[in-house]
Amino acid sequence: MLHKLRSFWRAATGRRAFEDAMREEMRFHLESRAADLVRRGLPPAEAARRARLEFGPIEKHKDAARESLGLRLVDETAGDARYALRTFVRNKGFTATVVLTLALGIGANTAIFSLIDALMLRWLPVSNPQELLQLTLQAPGDKSAGESFSYAIVRALDEHTEMFAGVAGFSASAFAVGAPGSMSRVPGAIVTGGYYQTLGVNPAAGRLLGRDDDQPGAPAAAVLSYGYWERQFARNPQAIGQTLVMNGVPVTIAGVSAPGFVGADVGQVADITIAAAALPTVIPSAAPLLGKGNFWLGVLARPTPGASLAETTSRLAAVWRHTADTVIAPHWPPARRKAMADAIFVLVPGGTGRTYLREMYVKPLQVLMAAVALVLLIACANIASLLLARASVRQREIAVRLAIGAGRGRIIRQLLLESTLLSLTGAACGIGLAWISGRFVLDMISTGPARVVFDLTPNWHVLAFTSAVAVLTGVLLGIAPALQSTAPGPAPALKDDARTNTGRSRLLPSLIAVQVALSLVLLIGAGLFARTLQNLRNLNPGFNPEGVLLVELDGRGPALSAALLDEIRRVPGVAAASVSTHTPLSGALWSEPAVPAGQPLPERDTALFVGAGPRFFDTMQIRLLSGREFTERDAADSPAVAVVNERFAQRYFPNQNPVGQHLSTKINGTRRDLEIVGLANNTNAASLRAAPPATVYVSYAQLTGDISTTLEVRSAGAFARVASAIRQQLQPAFPNAPIEVRPLSAQVQATMVQERMMATLAGGFGVLALILASVGVYGLLAYSVARRTREIGIRMALGAERRGVIALVLRSARWPLTAGVVIGLPVAWASSRGIQSLLFGLKPTDPVAIGTATLVLVAVAHLAAYLPARRAARVDPLVALKCE
Amino acid sequence: MADQADLLPGTLDVLILKSVSLGPLHGYGVLARIEQITQGALLVEQGALYPALCRLEHQGMLEAEWGVSENNRRAKYYKLTAAGRRRLREETESWNRLATAMAAALKARPSES
Repeated sequence: MLHKLRSFWRAATGRRAFEDAMREEMRFHLESRAADLVRRGLPPAEAARRARLEFGPIEKHKDAARESLGLRLVDETAGDARYALRTFVRNKGFTATVVLTLALGIGANTAIFSLIDALMLRWLPVSNPQELLQLTLQAPGDKSAGESFSYAIVRALDEHTEMFAGVAGFSASAFAVGAPGSMSRVPGAIVTGGYYQTLGVNPAAGRLLGRDDDQPGAPAAAVLSYGYWERQFARNPQAIGQTLVMNGVPVTIAGVSAPGFVGADVGQVADITIAAAALPTVIPSAAPLLGKGNFWLGVLARPTPGASLAETTSRLAAVWRHTADTVIAPHWPPARRKAMADAIFVLVPGGTGRTYLREMYVKPLQVLMAAVALVLLIACANIASLLLARASVRQREIAVRLAIGAGRGRIIRQLLLESTLLSLTGAACGIGLAWISGRFVLDMISTGPARVVFDLTPNWHVLAFTSAVAVLTGVLLGIAPALQSTAPGPAPALKDDARTNTGRSRLLPSLIAVQVALSLVLLIGAGLFARTLQNLRNLNPGFNPEGVLLVELDGRGPALSAALLDEIRRVPGVAAASVSTHTPLSGALWSEPAVPAGQPLPERDTALFVGAGPRFFDTMQIRLLSGREFTERDAADSPAVAVVNERFAQRYFPNQNPVGQHLSTKINGTRRDLEIVGLANNTNAASLRAAPPATVYVSYAQLTGDISTTLEVRSAGAFARVASAIRQQLQPAFPNAPIEVRPLSAQVQATMVQERMMATLAGGFGVLALILASVGVYGLLAYSVARRTREIGIRMALGAERRGVIALVLRSARWPLTAGVVIGLPVAWASSRGIQSLLFGLKPTDPVAIGTATLVLVAVAHLAAYLPARRAARVDPLVALKCE
Repeated sequence: MADQADLLPGTLDVLILKSVSLGPLHGYGVLARIEQITQGALLVEQGALYPALCRLEHQGMLEAEWGVSENNRRAKYYKLTAAGRRRLREETESWNRLATAMAAALKARPSES
């Protein structure tokens, strides 16, 4: 077998040598034979003739030799391809239409697939990624599993070398790098000591972090990504051992990780990685993360070689039984401690890394993949009808070829080759298109909570996917026209003129009906997503995000003196300013138990808590329904006060004014008694989709310990000017990290990123489908008008009116259109169930979306049908009859 | 000419293998050898030899090499490979079996049937 392949390859690649050798061999034979015959006494001329006669037809023997090597198929295919290319060049308009349509269809598929590939299918660039397992923790009786672990748990598990070759804990972060004045924010990661060894990443220079670096008191060391080393240090080996100033703290560069590796968090790039034990030094405000109560590390583990998943899981359960007690936070209430100890470890494949993005985008991407598959189907139906129309024009050519002896299989093969060539060309353009549009989608996702970085350069996954799609498309496209045009046998097509051939196929209108139905499905989907986004945008969140600027002051809050705040309030363009521990829709939430004084305090948290400074409600424009808001007088030494929202009041003080009542709560583990001084409007603090949660606002000045701080400023002037004024005002007070000012409206927008993506992309695909379907309707009618020119001419000669002719042509569009809508509506109805969870504020059967989509489709299709109809009405009967 | 028989399908390959098994030969030499060993009893269309040679080489039964002929011309010489030798042995056995069986069958008399 191998030998055959080799000899075929040699002959196919060294084609000229093969042909030369064959010719020379045969000439030698003829000459030797002639020489023999001359020796037997024949005259030379006669001998040569006899030799040729005995040899038989030379070309036939050569062909037999080629066929025995399988070269004939190559020759024929090459001939077919040449012929097809010539045909394409001759029909430039047709070719361009088909290639463009396919490029759009295949490009959309490739773009969405490459996102799915990047998000879910791609292995981490580490050694044997398929062995890696991700640890998740399932509370008893709970189906969803937690993906985050405390530092103590990761370290405890890493010690069990009989079970795991290594355990890696990691969390994305960012550092302010550089000297004051020239600082930049660099994305990074905080990892446990086993991280690099577990993943099996090699250093490109220097050394990587190990378990020794993750000990309390170990000198802080950083590992750079290869890309960062390249950009910042020009791959200079001297960089190793140098000092990097991170958040104002000097950290030694230990080494550089291998090229391609940018951390185990998919979609995020970690350019600088430090050990968790270095947190207290580098980010003092984040030091509490190392406590037993904080679950913040994603975990990948590599089991010992040879152990099965079931073995590892049961070993882990056994280990957890006697380790749980030592790693669970001692200050947790007993019930919570027990729930944690009873939790079950579930190991899932982890070779593709971990990301919160998956949970967020899997469903949308699946829906989009289905949508682009529909777009491609529409494109295929469109092109198939074009090819069909063209095939009937080529009927004569094919009939002639059949008549002079070409086999049916041979012609089908040639037609399929033509359509495959078209689809491959389309796919090549589509890959380029996907590259660009994938970037566009990524930019859109990056307007969400975090910047998302994927390498979307087409890899072999994507190329294989696209080629498979292209070949399948080509065959799908070619098969119907190929079978149809070769079916009837040569005689009738040769006899009849194609134009008088009245036996019309049902296939063409059916293809149009399919296009209409599929476009309707996509348009309805687009309508549903657009309405979802609109509903979210029109939602009143209970605060006014417009004009509010935020400055994150993590760990620097206590340093923000009242005087500095006053100075900010005096900056021109600033209408109001305040501070708070949390801002609405930031993603960070704080909750505590709180009940009316006198009731027993429950163990679980009952309300969302926000520490708010003076004039917070004024700044955020949260309406106060009763009482007052916090002022400078609500300081640490004055009586503890609270403002509750309507929802909290309804739950705990039904039908009474809560102002003046007392609350008992536990704040950061300390029991506090608060007097309610105000009642505020509800706000969507946690999510736009969920109902506003019960919220208790406490005075920022009365909180103690490590609290996060955000400064909010309501500006009356231009964003850029106010922002830079605030930055100038604040930077001298906080030299160690850049002051970043961002608008609250962007934070609100970020929570709608998924809906925005769906509305934009589904809308785009809906419009694409609409265009394709209209082109299909137009093409069908234009073709039928062209075929019926003579008939129309006769009708007009006999007195038919223009309006009658238009109606006649439009009528032929009526049944595919009606059939399309009749099929499309139930299909849309059935499939919209699948997207219910992505919608907001409307049902999948939303009449507005369905009605609008149907109307738009019917209107556009009629417009597309009207153009050829008008052309038909302009037919000059004389010309139409003469042209025969 | 009347005593010449047409080739049965498949026989040409065996004849080629047999003639080449006695030593490397060029195409014309193979033809001459076949004529010689069959004493001209079998009719070979001369040109048909080449597709057969090409096929056998493709299948790895023969190995080809350019050499110089007795009349000082460049010629393509074929020689048997190990696989070819094995094939020739198998074919010979099956031919012999067939020939014996056919001969026995044709010798049978009416009374024995």
